[in-house]
Amino acid sequence: MMSPMRTKYRKAHKGRIHGKAKAGFTLNYGSFGLKAVEPGRITARQIEAARRAITRHMKRVGRIWIRVFPDVPVSTKPAEVRMGSGKGTPEFWVCRIKPGRIMFEVDGITKTVAHEAFALAAAKLPVITRVVARVAEEV
Amino acid sequence: MADMRTIAVEPRDRAGKGAARATRRDGRVPGVIYGEGKPPVMVSVEQRAIQREFRRIGFFAKLCDIKLKDETIRVLPREVQIDPVTDRAIHVDFLRVGAKTRVAVGIPVEFINEGTSPGIKRGGVLNVVRHQVECYCQADSIPDHLTVDLDGLDIGDSVHISMVKLPEGVRPTITGRDFTIASIAPPTVLQVETPAAAATTEEGAEGAVPAEGEAAAAAGAAPGAPGAPGAPGAKPAEGGKEAAPAPEKGKGKGRG
Repeated sequence: MMSPMRTKYRKAHKGRIHGKAKAGFTLNYGSFGLKAVEPGRITARQIEAARRAITRHMKRVGRIWIRVFPDVPVSTKPAEVRMGSGKGTPEFWVCRIKPGRIMFEVDGITKTVAHEAFALAAAKLPVITRVVARVAEEV
Repeated sequence: MADMRTIAVEPRDRAGKGAARATRRDGRVPGVIYGEGKPPVMVSVEQRAIQREFRRIGFFAKLCDIKLKDETIRVLPREVQIDPVTDRAIHVDFLRVGAKTRVAVGIPVEFINEGTSPGIKRGGVLNVVRHQVECYCQADSIPDHLTVDLDGLDIGDSVHISMVKLPEGVRPTITGRDFTIASIAPPTVLQVETPAAAATTEEGAEGAVPAEGEAAAAAGAAPGAPGAPGAPGAKPAEGGKEAAPAPEKGKGKGRG
């Protein structure tokens, strides 16, 4: 799973996700991409699950790019612990996603395979997504 | 140079976000025509017309005629701002050009002979580094595309700008280095797995670095990913909690 090699601070505030993506909303590498259309926090596990789903569906052809990186630590308190006594321990990493963000890109596969692969990946993500294409002759 | 397109526009009298939003509510896209030392002209374009056009390959490298009332202006589309979520055009810029105007324009790259490339036949992927190459050229002689021949390229080979024959009067804006246009990359999953190894590593050993994980590290996080430390930003797969930050040694200060 993806995680930062080192961080300046161990714990982060929960934060809020406002507005739309200011960058990373156009395809940069591949021919097809998976774009988030609502805000959300995506965990490293979800990114890995989506990546595996795409890779396995592509069956040894094509290439995949991951355009997001989980760099926000999320802490949790143990079960049956009273409130207070400080913040819990960091447990997993998440990536804050704004609407419009391209999360995955693929290339070297057909439109049908790309759509199928992204449908599998989208089922593993907590945000509503849609597939975007670089060339839109038919648009 | 391709056949000239014509875009019908209407003049716009008010500037500012309020007026621009009103234009968008009417189903039109605000825009501006500038250049050639003349004052800028505010216009609006029909949403469907610009939406259909700007996603076509080479839209920004083809001159078009703009019909403004009874006047025809020759322009080059310079920028289309899009909404990040809906991908609809929200503003468009046109550069007024004359016959002798020299412009820096991104010329699309066309790849030929993909079928005869041994690398692609073996399952390699054409990794396009530059879908378009920015070049200086005369506005009235912008080439439709630059042709790149992939014949004979194997996995690991790459195409540089020096290997591309540029039309006369066209020179790339990047000088001083032979930049890459495309390469033949190995596919994401290119693994030679013995049956015995497959039995031990497949699924069962989630904690170990899976075979696909290696490929992922090769593909890695895109360099633009936020917080990604370098190109292969993804740390190789570690089992479950190990990837999470180390647990806290002691409790924090009591806060009641």
